[in-house]
Amino acid sequence: MAGAAFVAWVAASLIVLADARRGLALGLGLLSISLAVLTWPAGMVIGSGAIVVGGLIAAVQCWRSGPAGWGIMPAGSTPRLILCVASALLAFWLAASVTTGPDASLRFAALVVPALMGARILMSRDVTVALAGIAAMAMALGTASGLDAESAGPIPAIVAGLIAAGVMFVPAVPISPSTAAPPARSAKQDGA
Amino acid sequence: MEPELLLAATGALGLAVVFAPPRVPRAKLLTWGLLGLAGMAAIAIAPSLDLVILILLVLAVLQARLTSHRDFATRLRAPMLAVVLMALGLVLERMQGPVVLERFGAVGIVAGLVAAVGLLPYAHEFDPEESVVASPVPWIAFVGPLLAAAVVAQASEVVPADAGDAFGAMLIGLGLLNTLWGSVGSWRTANDAAAWRYSFMSDWGLVLCGFGLAIADGRAAALIILVSIVLGRLPLYLWSREALREKVPTDRAINLVVAAVLAGSAPFAGFPARVLLLRGATQLYWPLAVVLAAAMLLWLPGSLRLGRSMGVPRGRQAVGVAIVLGLNVLLGVYPQPLLTLAGL
Repeated sequence: MAGAAFVAWVAASLIVLADARRGLALGLGLLSISLAVLTWPAGMVIGSGAIVVGGLIAAVQCWRSGPAGWGIMPAGSTPRLILCVASALLAFWLAASVTTGPDASLRFAALVVPALMGARILMSRDVTVALAGIAAMAMALGTASGLDAESAGPIPAIVAGLIAAGVMFVPAVPISPSTAAPPARSAKQDGA
Repeated sequence: MEPELLLAATGALGLAVVFAPPRVPRAKLLTWGLLGLAGMAAIAIAPSLDLVILILLVLAVLQARLTSHRDFATRLRAPMLAVVLMALGLVLERMQGPVVLERFGAVGIVAGLVAAVGLLPYAHEFDPEESVVASPVPWIAFVGPLLAAAVVAQASEVVPADAGDAFGAMLIGLGLLNTLWGSVGSWRTANDAAAWRYSFMSDWGLVLCGFGLAIADGRAAALIILVSIVLGRLPLYLWSREALREKVPTDRAINLVVAAVLAGSAPFAGFPARVLLLRGATQLYWPLAVVLAAAMLLWLPGSLRLGRSMGVPRGRQAVGVAIVLGLNVLLGVYPQPLLTLAGL
């Protein structure tokens, strides 16, 4: 289990550090497998399968879209690297030392993966990167439901797998601006 | 509380589509409104907070994929921050550890809720020229009310009693901040469309205070204000957009009546909600009631301004405004059926 948690962190870090499709796809693929392994002992065999299938579909779709190449650790990615290491240390301390219980590996992954994916989505302006981060975030949320002893069974994990599989296929939709209101100064400019 | 808010949102969508101004594409409004309603129905029946967060994630992606002035990443930012904060809060609540972690978890859930709705300190970027569907307005006035009710209901099962005080205190603190800032903002801001957005914020401030009180009066007040946002302020805002474009303030009787609705004066829906809120706050901690009463006085200038910005509704919009006013009077004079339906 500790190995799976470590691989989950490595995979999440790959998604944070990669700017091109191959790096993102590899991160998604590794993350789906490691999270599925972490989900399995919580009695969610179906949920575990849903996460791995959904994650791999997302990885395949990611492999086919976005900028070509691996794009791992391009110039200027030092802050992202520091983020990955620092978040792992903090999550490790919380999961292994501050909290108690049998699922330390799951606790570590449930803390570090959403935090890293949230940071990745918030710092990115690229659609493919953001969608890969969202797929990973969904899988992490599905896995985290295993922490709850009275959870809703495998349903969150199945929903997470479906979201991970589907989110990479969501097309951009044009919307008519005809409901637009007045051409006036933006609220963010008026100081109120 | 969720079924009543879903019903109110359905009514609001119906009003918005049927009484939409001629140049508004009704088919698109209906399509995206129904999609939002489907998401809200899923949130209402979700058995756990995990599922609520996952549905929020889906709704955020679908809305952000609409092409608009603002890019995908910008529009995704606030809902994603909400998802991250709520997810981390939920994980902290589920871990066995010191009470301080549970309190951090409660703070995370409240902060996530506020970020999802688009309230201070996580107000969504607002562009008055953007279409309503792609703007932050659906979060604050359509999906947000039901989402808030669902998150607060689910959180009460997740947050342990030790951290319940932190949860309530965060809600009340952010509620007061939004009440004051929203009231002053809707009064002082230069832009009329932005003033409407601030007025939503000030209403939400009272809702957060109501939820934070964690007593029946507070929850009842929160429900009435949420319904009045969905069935009052939202349709009035949609119908005011034509007049906002013309930028000609009007001073007819109808504008005063609309201002009274927005200010929460008697006999409209906001009035019993404010009375219930003050009563609940007095039971819990009377200085809070004093602060709330003072903040409520700030509603008047902003509401008068918004009422004037409505213009003079004509044709089908006049019918729509009449229906909204009627519903608000009904809720204001006799809110008990709504509260009974919600089990309050």
